[in-house]
Amino acid sequence: MKTTRFRSGLLVAYGVLILAFLYLPLVSVGLASISKARYLSFPIRRYAYGWYEEAVTSDTVRDLLIISLKVAGLVTILSMVIGFFGALAFARYSWRFRKTYQKLILLPIFFPQTVLGLALLMWFNALDIVPSWKTAIVAHLVWIAPIATLIVSIRAFSFDAALEEAARDMGASQWQTLREVTIPLLMPGVTSAGLFAFLLSWGNFPLSLFTTGADSTLPEWLFAKMVSGYSPLVPTVGMLTVLTSAVLVLGALLLAWAIRRLRPTD
Amino acid sequence: MTAKTPILRINALTKTFENFTALHGIDLNVDDGEFLAIVGPSGSGKTTLIRILVGMDEPTDGSVWLRDKRIDVVPANKRPTCMVFQSLALFPHRTVGQNIEFPLKLRGVAPAKRKERALELLDTLRLPRDYYSKRIQQCSGGEKQRVALARALAFDPEILFFDEPLSALDYRLRKTLEKELKDLHRRTGKTFIYITHSLEEAMVMSDRIAIMKAGHFEQIAPAEEIYARPKSRFVAEFMGEVNFFDLVNGTASDVTMSDSAGASLAGQTGTLTIRPESLRRLGEGDSADLSFEGVVEAEYLLGSRVQYRITLASGREMGVEVLRENAVPGGVGASLTVGCDLKAAHLIADAQSTEDTPNAAA
Repeated sequence: MKTTRFRSGLLVAYGVLILAFLYLPLVSVGLASISKARYLSFPIRRYAYGWYEEAVTSDTVRDLLIISLKVAGLVTILSMVIGFFGALAFARYSWRFRKTYQKLILLPIFFPQTVLGLALLMWFNALDIVPSWKTAIVAHLVWIAPIATLIVSIRAFSFDAALEEAARDMGASQWQTLREVTIPLLMPGVTSAGLFAFLLSWGNFPLSLFTTGADSTLPEWLFAKMVSGYSPLVPTVGMLTVLTSAVLVLGALLLAWAIRRLRPTD
Repeated sequence: MTAKTPILRINALTKTFENFTALHGIDLNVDDGEFLAIVGPSGSGKTTLIRILVGMDEPTDGSVWLRDKRIDVVPANKRPTCMVFQSLALFPHRTVGQNIEFPLKLRGVAPAKRKERALELLDTLRLPRDYYSKRIQQCSGGEKQRVALARALAFDPEILFFDEPLSALDYRLRKTLEKELKDLHRRTGKTFIYITHSLEEAMVMSDRIAIMKAGHFEQIAPAEEIYARPKSRFVAEFMGEVNFFDLVNGTASDVTMSDSAGASLAGQTGTLTIRPESLRRLGEGDSADLSFEGVVEAEYLLGSRVQYRITLASGREMGVEVLRENAVPGGVGASLTVGCDLKAAHLIADAQSTEDTPNAAA
């Protein structure tokens, strides 16, 4: 009895240490953002919150935020649409090149992102397209849409084909079947795919670096400022980026919970 | 059964997959209001047939007619038929009520009207009305069956198809639902076409049974006839245990015939089929048209009945089933004589002898 208690205590301590190892860097960024010193140094002697005020009112930060949100938002919506139809082709319907398609779709994920970014930049150049935040959307999609497809596919694989057939049998047109059966049943998968797509695009650095051209996203700016021109504004913006992701994830979980709670009573 | 006009006519229906023929030009007429069971082992083509009938597969050749309208060319969602799936295919994201209302919603029926009809159907299927807002996941296996039936009835089809919907249920529930389904058929007066691999299930419910084998019908007849006068060894065996004796020119080894039986079987060739339960024990001085002598090899108690496996003189085995009070004294190892009347035996004539199967009793 005693040994079990000792062992479980040891396990808890181990768990806490692992979590600390993973999250302490984030805490240090948080601490750095409220340091009064212009340079990164520990321990922090004097605290100040002015950099948050600076971040909220800065035009640069606002522009960065708008570009990052535009890219992540559009990538999310497009990934959800592509992922939905891609998953139907991946998991639900048998067609001639399905096996090939199932393998090809994994290719962009196995490519190192820097190589993919470089390849896309050269491709845009060859096509005479000037890189901007719009080309970054295409670049992000090349990497993220396959991931979204795989996420929705997991849901699509557990889908009883008879459900669609039953709807057809009872007189539903193809569009009605899609609207009444297929979309509602795949929706949980599409929502998680959207969430992943946003987070992956929001935090992406290598693809953005190669393909945004003159525009800059938040991660790109963080890196640039880290290399030259550091101020506590950098960890401050970093913290705000993390908070945005956290709020989004928590919001989505809350929404899912609320929907589950509300449904049985209809 | 009175003569009615056929509601469904299947004409030389053929279905060929890449290198396999699932249906070999089959014909079938189904009467209006009939309960027809299509029975066959897996791979016999019964699922392919029903999928073609509801429009989920296309036939390679042949035609399907609903009254005087050709329907094999009509898409599934435009056919006035409905199917209860093996998996039931109830929509998990909808409540019981919404599932039942689904076909009405597609037709644009007003919500209040829809609900009224759904509640009526809950009554018909003997489900409590408050199930209307229950989730599908909260229903038991038997309740799900009833919801699926209610949804199919809400569609108000000309013909209701069933693809082995009871196969996943436990024995007792299946027995209850078989009777309910038969009752529902009587009350609604609709045409039911039911697919199953269980002849027992078909016997309980249907007016006629079509036995399927390797893409064609072996026999289509009322249950009683399938049982008593099977057209082939396949049908006879499908129906449960049966003893076969090869009859060549009126004689068969291991079978002792009375004078009258010998006379009526004279010159006939085919397979003599005798059900284990048609046999009775013969004591000293008892006689029967056909009799067999053997030694009890094994004994199985079946509750009110006892089944024996006996070895006959030639060494071949035979099944005998008697009531418990007629059990063989001594059990395994005892010698006994069993027999039956000629009218309890059935002769399957060899295919080449005559087209029409002569009945041994005739």
